Amino acid sequence: MSTTLKRLAIGAVTSALLLGGLAGCGGNPSSNSSNSFNTLEQIQAAGTVKIGVFFDKAPFGSQDSTGTFVGYDIVYGERIGQDLGVEVEWVPVEAASRVAFLETGKVDIILANFTVTAERAEKVDFLNPYLKVSLGVVSPESGVITDISQLSGKDVIVVKGTTAETYLEANNPEIKLTKFEQYTEATSALLDGRGAAWVTDNTEALAWSLQNPGFTTGITTLGPQDTIAGAVTKGNTTLLKWLNDELVTLGTENFFHKDFDLTLKPVYGDAVSPDDLVVEGGKV
Amino acid sequence: MEPELLGEYLPVFARAAWLTLWVGLTGIVCAVVVGLACAVVQHFRVPFARQLVSAYIELSRNTPLVVQLFFLYFGLPKLGIVLSSATCAIVGLAFLGGSYMAEAIRSGLEAVDDGQSQSALALGLSRGLTLRHVVLPQAVALAMPAFTANIIFLIKETSVVSIVALPDLMYVAKDLIGTDYNTREALTLLVAFYLVILLPISLGAGKLEKKVRYAAFGS
Repeated sequence: MSTTLKRLAIGAVTSALLLGGLAGCGGNPSSNSSNSFNTLEQIQAAGTVKIGVFFDKAPFGSQDSTGTFVGYDIVYGERIGQDLGVEVEWVPVEAASRVAFLETGKVDIILANFTVTAERAEKVDFLNPYLKVSLGVVSPESGVITDISQLSGKDVIVVKGTTAETYLEANNPEIKLTKFEQYTEATSALLDGRGAAWVTDNTEALAWSLQNPGFTTGITTLGPQDTIAGAVTKGNTTLLKWLNDELVTLGTENFFHKDFDLTLKPVYGDAVSPDDLVVEGGKV
Repeated sequence: MEPELLGEYLPVFARAAWLTLWVGLTGIVCAVVVGLACAVVQHFRVPFARQLVSAYIELSRNTPLVVQLFFLYFGLPKLGIVLSSATCAIVGLAFLGGSYMAEAIRSGLEAVDDGQSQSALALGLSRGLTLRHVVLPQAVALAMPAFTANIIFLIKETSVVSIVALPDLMYVAKDLIGTDYNTREALTLLVAFYLVILLPISLGAGKLEKKVRYAAFGS
């Protein structure tokens, strides 16, 4: 057998095995046997809960100069750890990898500004919400976008795997999207003039444009109003129930209003009223 | 695995594969030009330019492509230079590949025994003819395995260009995983498409290596 033939054969066999292996994993798409997760008891026995959070999305989840996680989601996560009686291990996640981190059991809970959508709910179990949100459009003051039609044919920046991306692809296919994996990459690109606008959650849009002179949120509400909630791996009912009960308890203390005052108010000032964003007790 | 999803994603991946191949090959052609120039400068020990080339080779080989792309795409705009995604990717590949190509070509040139050119000169061949008929054929034969390995390496390196928002194979795979969550289908197509691009190149390279080997001394 010539070397070329041998190499071709080896290549073909290897790829067939690899693809067969992947296909095998999906043999039964309705079962969740591929999902591995820690139940409430296992988390409490282990003494650690792994929470997936953003590391570059201030004021919701980011790291300060010492590497400590800070923000609205972090305050909530710390309280969960305290009430579970366990240590919190923070796991930094990107928007597009949030579902995969839950499906593969790399985190127990995602608290990363996770907007509830029907597609996502097929893959993960959402808790009751703790924030409400719609989309916002950030643009430079030299070319403020006040209506979505102004963006027709222009480059618009989005982060992969966000509701902004799905919404624009479904409703405004005439807009050209430039997609990044991280928020810092998206905002850098906006600062460098690589797009006419950046579309993201309005909470994030308002916060960012208030912190960055020369930019403004010309459209503050775009698309339907959504809610933001934590999520657990599909089928992890014990943890889901505990977390939803926890939300009711926190509601009686007005916990998220306090969280807002602590983390969001310093950014928004009086531009946003807490009742426009915060959901208490898991009920909108 | 849902077969109808594979069919639905196929055109998206095919478009991305073309872009991957186009960016990869353009980058490689530029890298060969850069590499050739650098190898000539080093081989003929051109004063001053030689030190410059050495510095470039060390800088290029000891920094990751992701870092080079970040510098080009997010760094240069701070100095007022805004390059498009595709330009950044090609410049990045040429910058990285140039040094690898230079080293491959130089090693080929240096591996040709000095006795070969001395014998040719003693037999009355001119310097030009010696280079063309004696040194270069042997150098090419010796450099070819490193050269083709570099080509495959550079095509594989294109998988990081999605960080500068260029919709290559990796970009569409991650995008589909992030929006539809059909991880298995997207990853299967990703692997399959890289194999479709790289296996023929790898096989062709093997053939080419054999073809030029006739010139290698002693084989």
